[in-house]
Amino acid sequence: VKKLANLMLGVTTSIGSFLEVGSISTAATAGAEFGFALLWAIALAGIILAILTEMSGRLSAVSRRTFVAAVRERFGIHFLLVPILAEAVIDLLLLTAEIGGAAVAIRLLIGLGFQWWILPVSALVWLVLWSSTFSLIENGLGLLGCVTLCFVVSAWLLHPDVATVAHGFVPTLPNRDLTRYAFFAVSIVGATVSPYLLNFYGSGMIEEESGESDLATNRIVAGVGMGFGSVTAMAVLVTSAVVLGPQRILVNSYEQAALMLVPTFGRYGVLLFALSLGIGCFGAAVELALNGAYVAGQSLGWTWGVNRKRREAARFTVVFSGVILASTALAMTGVDPLKLTLISVALTVVIMPLVVLPFLVLMNDPAYVKAHTNSPVGNGILAALTIVGAVLAVIVIPLEILGS
Amino acid sequence: MDVVRDVLDQAVVDRDGRAMGRVDGLLLKVSPRCPPTLTAILIGPSVLGDRIHPLLGRLVRAAEQLFGLVGRPTQIGFGHVIGIDREITVDMSISDTSVDAVERGLRTVVSRIPGAE
Repeated sequence: VKKLANLMLGVTTSIGSFLEVGSISTAATAGAEFGFALLWAIALAGIILAILTEMSGRLSAVSRRTFVAAVRERFGIHFLLVPILAEAVIDLLLLTAEIGGAAVAIRLLIGLGFQWWILPVSALVWLVLWSSTFSLIENGLGLLGCVTLCFVVSAWLLHPDVATVAHGFVPTLPNRDLTRYAFFAVSIVGATVSPYLLNFYGSGMIEEESGESDLATNRIVAGVGMGFGSVTAMAVLVTSAVVLGPQRILVNSYEQAALMLVPTFGRYGVLLFALSLGIGCFGAAVELALNGAYVAGQSLGWTWGVNRKRREAARFTVVFSGVILASTALAMTGVDPLKLTLISVALTVVIMPLVVLPFLVLMNDPAYVKAHTNSPVGNGILAALTIVGAVLAVIVIPLEILGS
Repeated sequence: MDVVRDVLDQAVVDRDGRAMGRVDGLLLKVSPRCPPTLTAILIGPSVLGDRIHPLLGRLVRAAEQLFGLVGRPTQIGFGHVIGIDREITVDMSISDTSVDAVERGLRTVVSRIPGAE
């Protein structure tokens, strides 16, 4: 039973990474504009995220510390300040975008302007965090997230040409719009590999009281969870490429993106799209708000956790409430959630080295992970990918902004 | 023992294992002809603020004064430290210190909302 619960942590984390507003919109847009050509980016993002979550789980299981706590202890407050400030800004933007995304999903279902749904969505996010234990959150989100498998069903039933799809897994340079192509590659990775997920997953391991005996399970959970997410995100891209691509429908709004499920599911297509988007965004919003409180509590040494009574972790409770309040206020100003998403996901890639490089030091320090240190090959690949990604992002983001 | 590596920024727990915060600062006694000695550990956001930027420390102090918080930062004599391992354990009870004044203040607010228990 515990292993099943662990698996749900993987699935829940992967919903927050692959099926939230950023990933769905980047995968849908990339499919509509470049066909299957960017499938490799989703696969790459899935592999990086699986490696990082496995590491994060291993750190928590062996040292009983999360990334944030370990960085403060190992490197001190000055060093911790840089990654957490960067993360705080991006997480606030992302939470705003997720609340907006969930509000857009309700608009697709019921109507009315999405601004009207921001307050109810935020209230629901808070209510879930106020009243749930960690296992209720992860099982609830994990089960609801299965709705997103409708994209996989759709991609299967659309019978895309297998050889062309397979070709998409080989990175190739396009003969047009190179900047935009590179921008989408960076965005897909950024939308998926959000730094907050690492601390969220590690904190989840501690909430679940996992220990060294759970290391094998942790490997499976990270692999299966991120596998679930990447296959679903690939299905979004494939569906979008097959349905929206040939009709030259560019994804400028969620109404257009919602059409992609219509050929397969008919009049239920928009409903399923809205449900998937809504659940993905809602799940990510819950995880982001919760992680804000995890970061505060762990870096300052408070009593933390959703498995505690709220009054016993009053500061923790106040922080997640405050984070939700701040994002709600930002969302109410009427920012376009789709634009906000595309900016924040690309920025994520820029700050990745600030998170991954200290993480690698911790994962090679026996004081934290005992004998379960990383392999040198894994260290090298991850460090190289992170730095290359960040450099690419620094080049591509200004070009894309100038271009549009 | 390397105090910066093994003491500073580590988690502090009381004798019953309750979280007291982290070592935000150290109090050293410096006297001529003697090596400096560690006399106390300090816990509190004002000390942490000082380490980041003196202005931030002053700001936190002003806020603490505004809310009438006294006895902060919490100073725990190094003699009270009974264990330095994964955490720093002290032989005191958290309720005898001012370290969780904010937590206690917020607790009265949070407790009023249904479902806090």
